Amino acid sequence: FCKNIVLAGVGSVTLVDDRVVTDESLPANFLILPHENHYNGKTLAEVCCDSLKEFNPMVHVAVERGDISTFGVEFFEKFDAVIISCCSLGKKKLINQKCRKLSKRVAFYTVECRGSCGEMFVDLQDYKYSKKKLEETIECQIEYPSFEEAILVPWRALPRRMSKLYFAMRVIEQFEDVEGRNPGETSIADRLGVLKLRKELCETNSLDESQIPDALLERLLTDTREFPPVCAIIGGILGQEVIKAISGKGDPLKNFFFFDAMDGKGLIEDISGPSTRS
Amino acid sequence: FGSKLQKKLEDAKVFIVGSGALGCEFLKNIALMGVSCGDQGKLTITDDDVIEKSNLSRQFLFRDWNIGQAKSTVAASAAASINSRLNIEALQNRVGPETENVFDDTFWENLTVIINALDNVNARLYIDQRCLYFQKPLLESGTLGAKCNTQMVIPHLTENYGASRDPPEKQAPMCTVHSFPHNIDHCLTWARSEFEGLLEKTPAEVNAYLSNPVEYKTAQRNAGDAQARDNLEQVLECLEKEKCETFQDCIAWARLRFEDYFVNRVKQLIYTFPEDAATSTGAPFWSAPKRFPQPLKFSVADPSHLQFVMAASILRAETFGIPIPDWIEHPKMLAEAIEKLIVPDFEPKKDVKIVTDEKATTLSVASIDDAAVIDELIFKLELCTKNLPLGFKMKPIQFEKDDDTNYHMDLIAGLANMRARNYSIPEVDKLKAKFIAGRIIPAIATSTAMATGLVCLELYKALDGGHKLEDYRNTFANLALPLFSMAEPVPPKTIKHGDMSWTVWDRWILKGNPSLRELIQWLKDKGLNAYSISYGSCLLYNSMFLRHRERMDKKMVDLALEVAKAELGPNRKHLDVVVACEDDEDNDIDIPQISIYFA
Repeated sequence: FCKNIVLAGVGSVTLVDDRVVTDESLPANFLILPHENHYNGKTLAEVCCDSLKEFNPMVHVAVERGDISTFGVEFFEKFDAVIISCCSLGKKKLINQKCRKLSKRVAFYTVECRGSCGEMFVDLQDYKYSKKKLEETIECQIEYPSFEEAILVPWRALPRRMSKLYFAMRVIEQFEDVEGRNPGETSIADRLGVLKLRKELCETNSLDESQIPDALLERLLTDTREFPPVCAIIGGILGQEVIKAISGKGDPLKNFFFFDAMDGKGLIEDISGPSTRS
Repeated sequence: FGSKLQKKLEDAKVFIVGSGALGCEFLKNIALMGVSCGDQGKLTITDDDVIEKSNLSRQFLFRDWNIGQAKSTVAASAAASINSRLNIEALQNRVGPETENVFDDTFWENLTVIINALDNVNARLYIDQRCLYFQKPLLESGTLGAKCNTQMVIPHLTENYGASRDPPEKQAPMCTVHSFPHNIDHCLTWARSEFEGLLEKTPAEVNAYLSNPVEYKTAQRNAGDAQARDNLEQVLECLEKEKCETFQDCIAWARLRFEDYFVNRVKQLIYTFPEDAATSTGAPFWSAPKRFPQPLKFSVADPSHLQFVMAASILRAETFGIPIPDWIEHPKMLAEAIEKLIVPDFEPKKDVKIVTDEKATTLSVASIDDAAVIDELIFKLELCTKNLPLGFKMKPIQFEKDDDTNYHMDLIAGLANMRARNYSIPEVDKLKAKFIAGRIIPAIATSTAMATGLVCLELYKALDGGHKLEDYRNTFANLALPLFSMAEPVPPKTIKHGDMSWTVWDRWILKGNPSLRELIQWLKDKGLNAYSISYGSCLLYNSMFLRHRERMDKKMVDLALEVAKAELGPNRKHLDVVVACEDDEDNDIDIPQISIYFA
C-alpha cells in the first residue's frame, strides 16, 4: 500500500511501527531487502522509510516512534488520512475516535491481511465528493459510521448473504482482545477457545453458528502471516481508495471490503446502522 | 499450502513476457512467493524496451539512475535482491515470429507456465497462439487506468485468449476529420495528420526525390494515379512556390497556412455547401452532428493567432535548416514581421469536389488526365531542382509529445484550436491537447498491483495442477467505482464429429514419417475427406489439381521441403499442417492442426 501512494506522489507519509525487523518480516515485505544484514535493532518503520524514499524523492517519508495509542489528538490533526494495520480492537476504536474528535476531517482506514484473507474498513465520516455522471460533474454526500458503530450493528440485522469473513474476523478480534493477545498472535491451539467465543457471540446476536464456518476460523487461526499476492491486491485497492478520498473525486468504498483467496471473491459490504445509511 | 506445492513453485520454469508495470509487480510477487527459486526453477523475462522517466510512477523496480537502461535487466536484478535464490534470466527480445530462433521449440516445451505482462493486443494474440500450440497455461492480465482484468487460459480446460475479441475501436470517418468535425477529438486528429503531412511526410518525400531523382520520377510515372500526382504536387510546392530560404519566408508560409486552413478552405466549404444547402433527399445538409463553420479573420492582436504563426514558422524553419532568430518569442517583433506580408485575396471556386461520403478512405480525387498532369509536374520539378544549392536536403520532423520546448504540441494545439474556433467547438489547453493527441492512457500503480496479485493467486492453482475449471477465477475490476467482479473461466468450444470430439487445444499426431496418401487415408478412416493441405501459407495439396495426384506417394516432410521450401532445422522432429476436410455430406469440418513426426 505504501508503495502505491508514494508512487502516486502524496505530499508526505509518516510511518509508525516500532516492531523490530526480524527474518520473519522478510517474506511478505519487499521493502526490506534480505542481504542488508545491518539491521540490528532497526524498526520496520525505519527500514521501510528508507526504501520508500527511493520510490519517489518528492515524497516526504518520515518515522514516528512510540505507541500509537498514546499519541494525542493533535498528532492525528497533522494528517488527511490515517491507515492502521495489525492493531487490536481497542486500538482501532481509540484511533478512530481520535480522528473523529478533530474538527478537520481525517479519513480513517483499517486493513488486515491474514493468510489468504484480507479485510479493509473505511470511515470517511461526513464525506462530500464529486463524480462524473455522463458528461457532467455532480456533487454527492455520504455518511460513514465509525468502526465502533459499525461493529455494533446487530448481526441479525445484516443481510443473509453477508460475507462470512466479516463475522469470522470479529470473532478473532474479540478473542485477541479478551485474551490480551497481540494481533496475529493466535494459533490452532486456540481453536477451542475461539469456537467457544463464537458460540457465545452467535447466541448473543441470534446468529446461526454455521454462518461462521469452522474451516474459515481455522484458516484465520493458522495462517496469520501476510501473504504477498493478497497484500498486493488489498494494497492496490486501499491505495486507490486513499487517493480518491484525498482528491475528493469518485465513489469511495463503503465501508468494508473482504477478499478471500479460497473462492477468489472480493466483496464490498455496507455495514452501517439505520441512521448512517447513504 | 504445504511443502509439496512450495517445491512445485520453486522448480517452476516461468516465462514473463514484458517487464513494464505489470512485469515489475509480477517479479516482486514471484520473488516473495519463492517461484523459480529452486535448483530446477528458472524465470525468463523479456522486454525490448528501455526505461523512461514517465515509467517510474508505477514501474517501481526502476529508479532515476536506471533511466536509459534495459527494463528487463534492471528489473531482474532488483527482483534478485528481493530474493537472492531467484533464478532469473533477462532478455531484450520482442516476442514474435522473428524471434522464433531465440524462443524456439525447446524453449517453449520446457516451460511450465507463461505470464503475460504486455501492453498491446497483437503481442497477446501471438503468445496465445504459441501457448495453444505448445499446450501451456497462460496467465493473462491487463490494466487501463483504474480498470483491470485477469484471464486464465489453461490447456484443455478453458477457452484461449483469442477466442473472444473486443469490438474494434471506432475511428472517425475521413470526411468528418477533413471537413466536418464536431468535437475536439476530430480537430486533434486532423491537427496530428496535418503536422505529420507538412513537417514529416513532405520533407521525407522531397528527400526521396532528391536522393534518387530518376528512380523517384519513374516510380511516380508508373503509378500514374491520384496519389502519385499528389506526391509530386507536394514536392514541387515545397521546392518551388513555397520554398523557404530565410526565416521571413517561413513566417510567410506559416501566415499563409493559417489563411488557407482557417479562412480560405472554410470559405470554399460554405460556398459549396451554403448554410441552407440540402442533401439529395431534401434534408438540411448542415444538420447535426455537422457544425456550420465560420472563417476566422487573422489579427496580430490575437495571441492565439500569433502563437500559431510562431510555432509553425519555427518548425518550418527546422525542416529547411534555417536558423531561428532570437526575437521570435517577442510578440511585437513577430507582429511586425507578419504585417509586412501580403496575403492574397481568396475567391471560392465553383466546381470544387469535397468528399462527403463517410465510407471514403482517401481524399485524393482521381481525374482522367492524371498521367498528363504527372508529366507536367515532373518537368517543372526538374526545372526548379536546378536552382537548389548542392547537397540540399530537408529535415523531416517526427512528432515528439513529451518535449515541452520543441513547439510540437504548440503547433498541434494551435491547429486544433483554430479549427475548433471555426466550428464553434470548445477549445482545449495544451496539456489536454497532449493527452488526447498523444493517446495517453493513464497507468497507475494501484490497479496494476491488484491485477498482478490476483494473477499470482491463480498461479498457485496453475502450478499445483489438477484443478478443475470451477477453481479458477477471471476478474474484472474498476477501482474508481469501485467494482469487483469475479467469474469462472469459460470452457473451450467443442467440435464433434462422429464419435470424436475435440477443442482448439487438440492436435492430432501422426508418427512414422507418413506419405501424403497415408495421411489422407488416416483421415478417411475417421470419416473425413481431406481436400486441401497446407504448410504455413503454402499449399501442399488440393484435390482440385490433377497435378497434385503425382504427390501422393511423397513423404509429407519432403513435400514441405520441396514445395513450401520449409526450413526445418536439425532439431526439428515434426512439422504441422492445416488440413481442410469435409464429411461425407460435403459439410466442412474444422479439424485440429495435425503434427507429422518424420524423425
